[in-house]
Amino acid sequence: MKLVHLYPQAMSLYGEYANLALLTRLLESLGEPVELTAAAPGETPDLSGADLIYMGAGTERTQKAALTWLTPHRQALGEAAERGLVLFTGNAMELLGASVTDKEGTLYEGLGFGSFATVETDKRMPHDVIARTSLFEAPVVGFMNKCSVTSGVDNPLFTALDMGTGNEGDKGPEGFYQGNVMGTHITGPVLVKNPAFLTWVAGKLYKNRGESMPPVPAGQPWMDMARRAYQVTLEELSALLR
Amino acid sequence: MKLALAVLLCKAIRFVGKLVGKGSSLPGQIALKICPDALGRVKLPPYVVAVTGSNGKTSTVEMIAAVLRAAGKDVVYNAEGSNQIEGVATLVLTHCTLGGKMKGDVLLLESDERYARYSFRWFHPTHFVITNLYRDQLTRNGHPEWVYDAILPALHKDTTLVLNADDPLVSCFAQGRDKVRWFGLEAWDGATAEHHGVYHDGYLCPVCKEEMEYTLYHYNHIGHYRCPGCGHHRHTPDFAATGLDLKAGRLTLEGDTQLQLSFHSIYNVYNILAAWSLCRLCGVDKATIAQVLGSYILKNGRMVTFTLGKHHGTLLTSKHENSVAYDTNLRYIRDWDKPCTVVVMVDAISRKYFTGETSWLWDIDFDLLNAPHVERVVLCGKYVNDLALRFDFSAIAREKICCYPSIPEAIQAMEGDGEEELFVVTCFSDRDKLLDKVKRDN
Ligand SMILES: [Zn+2]
Repeated sequence: MKLVHLYPQAMSLYGEYANLALLTRLLESLGEPVELTAAAPGETPDLSGADLIYMGAGTERTQKAALTWLTPHRQALGEAAERGLVLFTGNAMELLGASVTDKEGTLYEGLGFGSFATVETDKRMPHDVIARTSLFEAPVVGFMNKCSVTSGVDNPLFTALDMGTGNEGDKGPEGFYQGNVMGTHITGPVLVKNPAFLTWVAGKLYKNRGESMPPVPAGQPWMDMARRAYQVTLEELSALLR
Repeated sequence: MKLALAVLLCKAIRFVGKLVGKGSSLPGQIALKICPDALGRVKLPPYVVAVTGSNGKTSTVEMIAAVLRAAGKDVVYNAEGSNQIEGVATLVLTHCTLGGKMKGDVLLLESDERYARYSFRWFHPTHFVITNLYRDQLTRNGHPEWVYDAILPALHKDTTLVLNADDPLVSCFAQGRDKVRWFGLEAWDGATAEHHGVYHDGYLCPVCKEEMEYTLYHYNHIGHYRCPGCGHHRHTPDFAATGLDLKAGRLTLEGDTQLQLSFHSIYNVYNILAAWSLCRLCGVDKATIAQVLGSYILKNGRMVTFTLGKHHGTLLTSKHENSVAYDTNLRYIRDWDKPCTVVVMVDAISRKYFTGETSWLWDIDFDLLNAPHVERVVLCGKYVNDLALRFDFSAIAREKICCYPSIPEAIQAMEGDGEEELFVVTCFSDRDKLLDKVKRDN
């Protein structure tokens, strides 16, 4: 499997690199060799044959720099998304839409995978999150650190939030998922915090290649840790709702 | 008249508050209700000094106060750390005459990055020291550039900025200003040509987002840098540490003054450097500063020694959600050369609010513990699984690690097992869970 991490040094504000570290570990445990490459600013990203193209969160200013860098490669990204999964988390998700307007009112044209528009505000809304999706059963836990409102998403990734701020406000819906392009404003190692999401992503990568994912072997300490960590966080956050 | 009443009330409530052990923000809060612009009306001392930044504020403020007092100046400062506007009002008004004149030669304020613009709405400091901007409590602060944007409106054009030249983001505060003085560390043996650490916040230029060039790194993104895109660069320091031997604990300032470090840490060097620069700007002679800082032992209780079973232990108080604070302590342990066990406790992420956010664990350079003298790593607390998972992706051998879901279980297990030195790394939010169970050294 070929995993491509876009702008990894700068768009990894909340430990996002760990998503790819765990995904690599999972795929390797399934007997799948993994090639993880980084596409840095100034370079032309090599997206050919990519199974996953990932970008994490950055500061608002770095996000614009990442957009300026990626825009000329928009077509290549679209072609890669015909067979590989594109996953953008944190404010990288905003780049998948039609536009991002900063708090001074300057409009930046997005990559256009969705028709939604994002407007930044001068208020941050950091909050823990519990999110529901129809893709798998387990609720997703995590954290959001957004200062924007996204409107016009027709295909959200999360249908509703038990906790946290969705695209247009509290309780969701949240994120974006259309074809092979997926985004969520949940920051940090969202795949690390959510073994079910991690496993779903791995399964999707196999499916995109016309293969089915082998069963995850039992008795892997790291996966057990991830599951227990998830359980603790879910219980902690759920307790706040009672 | 309103001002006099506010001063009077502030003093009275403060007096009563002290008797009953209540906090220091209430008197100011009430005084500001009576006279909202009280802070704009009082006559302040000739020096008003503010210190802000992600790490090291309290240490720097304490050192400045110690030096200025040794130099015979009357220093009024917020030792209790209530650095929001109500706390500042309490401090200022309780030291005022009824005529509104504040006593003292220097008003010294530790200023919270996020509240600085509110505190300094009514008056402005003569000197503003900014130590550094790191990833710190991102669940509240967003990120360092967000904090930068919050501090910027608090900086009055007449204020002299005293900036860390080696921090590329802090250096941006100098844009379009004349009154700037710089402090920085010159090349030394511990500086590296390559970046170290899990993440690199100096990778892109904070001004134009081109890839930045460094000639050397002191630690993380702190070093000597230049942007090939816009020319943003490290300024030559007005106050430089010209020599550093961290192992021997020797620091040379401005080429001619030697200082012995009581805490051999690069982070401590920067706090000293910030305090040195400010005190020099206040006209204190080098010998006096060196004498005070050279014998200065931080009193803020971040390092506590104790006994547990047959172990001697040291608690290195860190801050959850602050990878640089963790790295500071991990480096200290790495440089220790005798066998030891390291305990990492994450139970409550914050004292002040609840969050289950653990992404900051992935920013900590736990590989620093990958040393033969670190014989065992004990992980414990509610987030032990998050910790264990993080360590599983570190260089530390799995057989060195043991995990306990609660802090008492971990303490009990260690009590009867072994006699090597213990280092405990945790936050203010969790440290009492240890300190309540061990015998503290005097
Ligand atoms: Zn630049």
